[in-house]
Amino acid sequence: MSAQALFTGFFGVAAVWFGVVVFRTSSMVRSALALLFSQAAIGAMFLAMQAEFLGVLQVMMMATEMSIMAIFMVMYMMDPGGLGEMEMTHQKRASIAAGALAALAAAGVAALTDWGPAAAAPPAAEQTERLGAEMLGRSMLIFETAGVTILTAMIAATAVAIERRRRR
Amino acid sequence: MMALYVALAVGAVLFGVGLYGALSQTNLVMIMMGVELMLGAAMVNLVAFWRFLHPETYAGQMFVLVVMTVMALEMAVGFGVGTARFRAKGSVEMEEARELRG
Repeated sequence: MSAQALFTGFFGVAAVWFGVVVFRTSSMVRSALALLFSQAAIGAMFLAMQAEFLGVLQVMMMATEMSIMAIFMVMYMMDPGGLGEMEMTHQKRASIAAGALAALAAAGVAALTDWGPAAAAPPAAEQTERLGAEMLGRSMLIFETAGVTILTAMIAATAVAIERRRRR
Repeated sequence: MMALYVALAVGAVLFGVGLYGALSQTNLVMIMMGVELMLGAAMVNLVAFWRFLHPETYAGQMFVLVVMTVMALEMAVGFGVGTARFRAKGSVEMEEARELRG
């Protein structure tokens, strides 16, 4: 097994482990931190797969995103500390069955398909340069659409969340 | 090539865990966490396919950026809806959100 496969597997197991912890722990802060570690492990997987720019971006984005999520979770959960041992799940067996089935189907397709030989990775500096050229060239419309969509979502989320005052 | 199979296997399991979370949790924030895990799994697959099969085509990396955008949008809109719901009903428990049921 190559070092790349070893590190990809190591961080992958960490991502899955922390992903499971998200739904196993009763403390909401621990749950948010577990998701943060899971997403950071995914970022580390990107680095192991030589996608340096995406790896660093993933770690940076998720660190801020999950910190905000932790604050919202503490605000909105009825029992954020998990001290009351509240049951916050439903249809557990069906959910486990659906999750296991989806994982098995995806793993089966991955294992049974002949993907052909692996290609060599371009150097990190070239990757960033070519991604920039892709974003500002062929994929410009997608890039611009993503920007406008983010702006729209920001306005929509603020409009939905803002407190409405009754007219006198 | 081994690393591709490892990444795809991790993506598959991560997607399964996320799907379990999204279906089994009753709280809006926890459901969003499940969706985040599923999107994370999709990103793992996209990076693996880009890196090991088509490293010369940067549309693969672009696709990952789009998925990251979707994750951020999901968070923003989800928390907006959550805040509105919390103001109106004092809870974001989805078992209680049955107003739209026909």
